[in-house]
Amino acid sequence: MRVDALVSEGERVEQGQPVLRSRRHPQMVLVAPVGGDVAALDIGPGRRLSSIVFFHDGKAGRHVHEAARSADDGGTIRAALLAGGLWTMFRSRPFGRIAAPQEMPAAIFVMAADSRPGAPSPAIAINGREEAFARGLAALLQLTNGPVYLCHDKAYAATGATPRDDRLRPALVGPAHPHGLAGFQMALRHPALPNAPVWDVHAEDVAGIGAFLVEGLVPQTRLVSVAGPALREARLVRCQPGADLRGLCYDILKPGPHRLLVGCGQEARWLGPWHRQVTALAGRSEAPRRNWFSKALKGASRPMPIIPTAALDHAFGGILPAAPLARAIAANDAETAVQLGALSLLEEDLALADFVTAASPRLSRMLRAMIDQIAREEAA
Amino acid sequence: MMRGIWDRETVALLMLAAVFPLALTWLLSSGLEGLVRLGFTLVVAGAWHLIFMLARAQPPSFAGALCALAIAVLAPLELGPIPFALGISFGVVMGELAFGGWGRNIVNPATITIAFLGFGFASAPWPQLPVQLGWSVLPAILIGTLFGVMPWRVVAGTVIALAAGSMLAPLPQQQLIAAGVVLVLLVCDPVTAAATPLGRLAHGALYGGLVVIFALNWSAGQPVQIAISAALLAALSAPLLDDIALRIWQARRPRLG
Repeated sequence: MRVDALVSEGERVEQGQPVLRSRRHPQMVLVAPVGGDVAALDIGPGRRLSSIVFFHDGKAGRHVHEAARSADDGGTIRAALLAGGLWTMFRSRPFGRIAAPQEMPAAIFVMAADSRPGAPSPAIAINGREEAFARGLAALLQLTNGPVYLCHDKAYAATGATPRDDRLRPALVGPAHPHGLAGFQMALRHPALPNAPVWDVHAEDVAGIGAFLVEGLVPQTRLVSVAGPALREARLVRCQPGADLRGLCYDILKPGPHRLLVGCGQEARWLGPWHRQVTALAGRSEAPRRNWFSKALKGASRPMPIIPTAALDHAFGGILPAAPLARAIAANDAETAVQLGALSLLEEDLALADFVTAASPRLSRMLRAMIDQIAREEAA
Repeated sequence: MMRGIWDRETVALLMLAAVFPLALTWLLSSGLEGLVRLGFTLVVAGAWHLIFMLARAQPPSFAGALCALAIAVLAPLELGPIPFALGISFGVVMGELAFGGWGRNIVNPATITIAFLGFGFASAPWPQLPVQLGWSVLPAILIGTLFGVMPWRVVAGTVIALAAGSMLAPLPQQQLIAAGVVLVLLVCDPVTAAATPLGRLAHGALYGGLVVIFALNWSAGQPVQIAISAALLAALSAPLLDDIALRIWQARRPRLG
């Protein structure tokens, strides 16, 4: 993302104050997750955002977005979300990017279910915020002309505050992973296409949007689960977006080397957008030493063949044809993969298939390469 | 990185565990002769796996042992070592290793070997399978489908087709035993069976249906010969069945936007 800085190092900012502006879409900004002083602003070559660090100061106060409080139709809500930095909560598929400011989604999936092992329950995240959630759902209905799917699990109790609208479609999602992933619900109910993008957004973020449109305040925290074998205990925390993962883990780490993963298995240092899970694994990330023979054996037969078993079928939830899709992705056969529903999927949706089959190279990486290629062809 | 267990070699080992009751029953009934035959097929198939590992850096697989067992149980008898070795080499190399090893092949190498030997040496007698081998099929199918390495839909399709066929005209006992053993050793191979739910049912039903048709109309056909021919034809049509199943799935999928 190429950005212009709106603040300089050492400047005092309020929580929710715009600090960076996208160069490609000037109406889209990023806001300060905490109030305080800008400690370091690192913008790399080509004005690509590298990192921005704040010193937290509780006395800095919160920025009020006045325009958000009066937003009442699709256009003003869109402008308010862009100006309040809440636009990055939407993920647009195919291609899994932040939606373009003028993009009109064919449908929006609100994920009030998350079947990932150890993921924080969305029902806990929006507990007590039913009114804000209903306001957020009403706002989503104004952002699209298509349906809004509310995918929820049994823990989520449908409240009376849910607005009545024939475009709002509640959908009960089974408890087994991967049924609670947006990609599979999309593939099942409303497949994403390049000319008809579909957005997904977490229920907690919908409640945040609702609160933002009432009070004009950017949500301060996100419910995040911190777990893993390298920790003494698992914990569920409300922390600011963009938190330092080491800060979330340092007081409960077991001694010894460890790695911190975010989301579905990427090593990272910061909590990015859409991430609600932090996992600490014991051990180092270095590959074991290999001699020339094992290297030749392992290099010549990649990608490893994936044997179609019941485990693979379960990893695709019985929603998509597992073996043909895995073969198409491994063979980089984009045409077949698109016909079999690959455009609705992202890396996180194939993480389970990668895990159970120990695929090498990872299916999720091959899928990312494939959809990037499709995106380049679409753009050309 | 943490990894799951369902990679190629785990599946191959579980397949071996599933057919273990069948292998043991067969060895007990065939004695030393069977042991020598199994050793011979293992050595020839293993040699080719070794050659492909050294020449093409293709990792060997335990599935080679599964293939050797199927050949030892089902191939025609009294061939002599050189024709037998030639047949195994043809099947293992052209059916599996030339495609890149187990997991990339399109037809089970054991099916190719046995069909090749059967067509090439038409006067060689086909094995008569003992009755207890038919019973050992049941635990093999149970283990394989419980662990999910054998597609249960193929088994279900076969059982439905054989039951329907038996209602038309009762099949001889030898035919049922041969059909069961071939089902476990060749048709339920997860790599070469159809890979979609509907395709798997159709694959099993096609195999069972062909066994019934051949048993009723092929007067000179031996039970094992009939089952092998049905397995070969069903395996060759598995991609077609998958394609039809995928087109049905696509037609029923929501088309929006």
